Amino acid sequence: MKGLISGIKRMEIHDGDGCRTTVFFKGCPLRCLWCHNPESLFLVPQTAFFSDKCIGCGLCNGNRNEQSADACPVCAQVYYGREWDAESLAEELSRDEDYFRNSGGGVTLSGGECLLQGNFAVELARLLKKRGISVFVDTCGYVKRGVLERIIPYTDRFLYDIKAIDPAVHRYCTGKENGLILENLRFLSEQGCDVEIRYPLVIGYNDGECEKIGAFLRGLKGISKIKVLQYHPFAASRYLALGMKNTMPDTVTTFEDVERSVSILKSYGLPAVNGILED
Amino acid sequence: MTLNYEQLLEALKDCVETEDAYRADCENVAFLLDHCEIAVPSENRFFVQVNCGGVQREIYRLREAPFKGLWADHGLLDGIRCGAYTGNHDFGHTSTCWDQLLTFGIYGLYKRVEEFSEETRQDPRKQEFYENLLSVYQAVFRFLRRAAECARSCGKTEMADGILHLISGSPRTMFEAMQTVFIYYTLQQMFEGSPLRTLGRLDGTLFPYYVGREQEDLFCDFLTELDQIKADANLPFALGGTDAEGKDLINELSYFLLDCYTKLSTKNIKLHLLCSKNTPKEFVCNALDSVREGKNSIVFLSDEKVIESLIRQGADPLDAAKYHVVGCYECCADQEVPCSCSARVNIPKALELALNGGADLRTGKQILPFERTEFKSFSDLYDRFVSVLQELCRRGMKTTDLMEAHYKQVHASPIYTSANIHALRKCGDVYADFAAKYNNSSLNAFGLATAVDSLVAIRKLVYEDHTMTLTELIDVLRSDWEGRESFRLLIRNRFPKYGNGDPSVDVFAGRIADALYEAVGGVPNAKGGIWRLGLFSINWRWEFGAKTAASADGRRCGEPLSQNSGATFGSDREGATAHLSSVCAIDASKTPNGTIADLDLHASSVKGENGLKTMYATLKTYFEKGGFAVHYNVLDTEVLKAARKDPSAYPNLQVRLCGWNVLFATLSDQEKDEFIARSMKG
Repeated sequence: MKGLISGIKRMEIHDGDGCRTTVFFKGCPLRCLWCHNPESLFLVPQTAFFSDKCIGCGLCNGNRNEQSADACPVCAQVYYGREWDAESLAEELSRDEDYFRNSGGGVTLSGGECLLQGNFAVELARLLKKRGISVFVDTCGYVKRGVLERIIPYTDRFLYDIKAIDPAVHRYCTGKENGLILENLRFLSEQGCDVEIRYPLVIGYNDGECEKIGAFLRGLKGISKIKVLQYHPFAASRYLALGMKNTMPDTVTTFEDVERSVSILKSYGLPAVNGILED
Repeated sequence: MTLNYEQLLEALKDCVETEDAYRADCENVAFLLDHCEIAVPSENRFFVQVNCGGVQREIYRLREAPFKGLWADHGLLDGIRCGAYTGNHDFGHTSTCWDQLLTFGIYGLYKRVEEFSEETRQDPRKQEFYENLLSVYQAVFRFLRRAAECARSCGKTEMADGILHLISGSPRTMFEAMQTVFIYYTLQQMFEGSPLRTLGRLDGTLFPYYVGREQEDLFCDFLTELDQIKADANLPFALGGTDAEGKDLINELSYFLLDCYTKLSTKNIKLHLLCSKNTPKEFVCNALDSVREGKNSIVFLSDEKVIESLIRQGADPLDAAKYHVVGCYECCADQEVPCSCSARVNIPKALELALNGGADLRTGKQILPFERTEFKSFSDLYDRFVSVLQELCRRGMKTTDLMEAHYKQVHASPIYTSANIHALRKCGDVYADFAAKYNNSSLNAFGLATAVDSLVAIRKLVYEDHTMTLTELIDVLRSDWEGRESFRLLIRNRFPKYGNGDPSVDVFAGRIADALYEAVGGVPNAKGGIWRLGLFSINWRWEFGAKTAASADGRRCGEPLSQNSGATFGSDREGATAHLSSVCAIDASKTPNGTIADLDLHASSVKGENGLKTMYATLKTYFEKGGFAVHYNVLDTEVLKAARKDPSAYPNLQVRLCGWNVLFATLSDQEKDEFIARSMKG
């Protein structure tokens, strides 16, 4: 079974407990304005071209593909979307197994939306679990219920994004309705899953959602943490290199903004933390 | 009558030539003790300052000069000049028996020599040996009385009283124990000129005097005053370790000293943390936390691996357990004189000579008697490389042996000897008579990653992908990649590299270390001891890199070689965990002189509680996999860039250069840029 992967990062400390290896899946059903991983949005391979790095050597013959990216001496071309079979990928992701064991870490499936390639994600999680490796699934929640059900047995924790409760705000910010997302979260909660909520706070876009998020989450069990994440518009060069329109809002979330949201969420009795301090 | 530095040197220069350095140096040291100038800096609490540091070192440099002529006689000069190897005396990497020293005090050391002297009244030769030592000690006490007077005249009553007590008794209090550290350090370092490269395990030696955390001011004053000593490449002390049964030795004082060290803004003292699998996690995490906050001067060593390496070289397990770290990372057993920086071998140069028929690729000069051949297979080439490498080791050792055989005419160490029970029993000087229990020498081979990456590139280009012939590749290297810049960058940036946990690459690091050990480990030296192997480069990688032709890993002619035992900067694309896994391909039990990984971590990658947990896991895992030593540079790109732009705004910003710390502001622009580039990766 094959999957499309945009990248792998080892010794990652921001995607769950301990020392983790994060694997970024290609493809996402949402189009969040503030997306930091534009290379993971589409479920097709893409070659990014960073013109500022190019030395004009001509080795690529003007091509933009996997071969030309591999031949670029200065990494001005980067190929996103290599095909992996699940076994080899599980093997690759297990390279830091000893470090996982000593730190309580493991592998985090992220993206894009890892569950968009549902069968592959489930198979990968199963193989990792078989090796005794902790698996966290970082998801936007806009996924088929069936896939969620199948990955639960192999998942130690879900890192679950909640961007907005108001459907109109959600649609504006992500391009999609949030009914499915909220239902799926309720489902995970009812299933007794360990869920860490992540709330990317983008001032002027979804900061007004904080009270509603608090009210919604208050009724759910199994929420181990709510991390409020700071937004910063730092992915512009990648949008440009991918030839994509940069949709990132020109706004900055300050430490105080995050603190304010954390205290609102706490007032609902929720285990909210400031992502700036934790990361 | 006191003399200034030039006058002291002038007075001793008359007796440079000697057949008996022991007698001459006992006289020299006594002369310096009687005639040096003494200053009492207002901020000093424990001891005075003297002006004679460096005089005896200058004397032994003058004495050794004629012996360098032997290198030419043995055909070694061309290899030295082309940067293939070097060798020399090393009087600069010593410890002492700190535990005995603090129990006895200076006075106790004297009494012990006196006892030896009385026991050997019937033997005139031995009698003379001890009498010489005793006369040095008489001068020591005259000097200490002068020091006490100076202290008192400057209003330093506590200092003066302590010194006076120590003339006639062992230390009784923490203050006097600390004074003893200063006094002994001054005697050996400043008067004798055998640089003392560690203060030992302070949490063990000072523990008998420890009464509690209420001594914080005393400890902070102690560390601050130590920090004022102008030691080359910093002044280290150690914490932790295990006893011979493997029991962890961390105590309350270890935590306290670490806290004081963390709290102070020191520039010159550095810390060796001796970790075992039983070292409390809390203690190690405190130290890692301190590193994250900018204390880049802590080296973490694995007790298990260090002790294993020392036992493997033949040290008694009891001596091995009480090992010292005498400099940056090099370890020696208790009672061992390791001469840890005596010989050096440039590994990439061995590959250069192997490729080019034994001739230097830059100058064409024939260095070794090999013929140039077109190697039919990669393994033929590799075998030749190993032969050349081992020959360079033999020559580096020979270069040193020729010098070390003449210690008797070059340097003696009455102070160091007086604190060494083995030398006292043998009735010989530690240096001039090779009278320590272990009289060893060490060879450091460096540029390991440069060589591994070059071998892997050659295998791929010539023997796997058939991109070019070996002759064509050598021509490219000789021309320093002229007209081939994109080809060079392709190799530099896209070829497989050591430091990414790739076993097909890392295997060469292990094999090269094995070949080096075969040529070096346990080989008899000129002093009745053996040769030991180390794999560190410190800043030699700049000096030797300047003499090394372009290498097949994409390095340009003259650029620095890779640092210590780790990846070439920027080549560890997979991050720190992969980097550490690569270094573990080396069997570090063969390298008592050190196998060191340098980890550059961006501040954001170790932030928060999870960052600390992860940092601890990297260390623990590295040691479980057989790692020897590691040090971290936690770098923040933005801070470094700002400091590059406006040094005056960051006068205290420190980075770890290689084996020691430096102020960022004092680096050259080239070095600053290297650090900034290192901080940006990942």
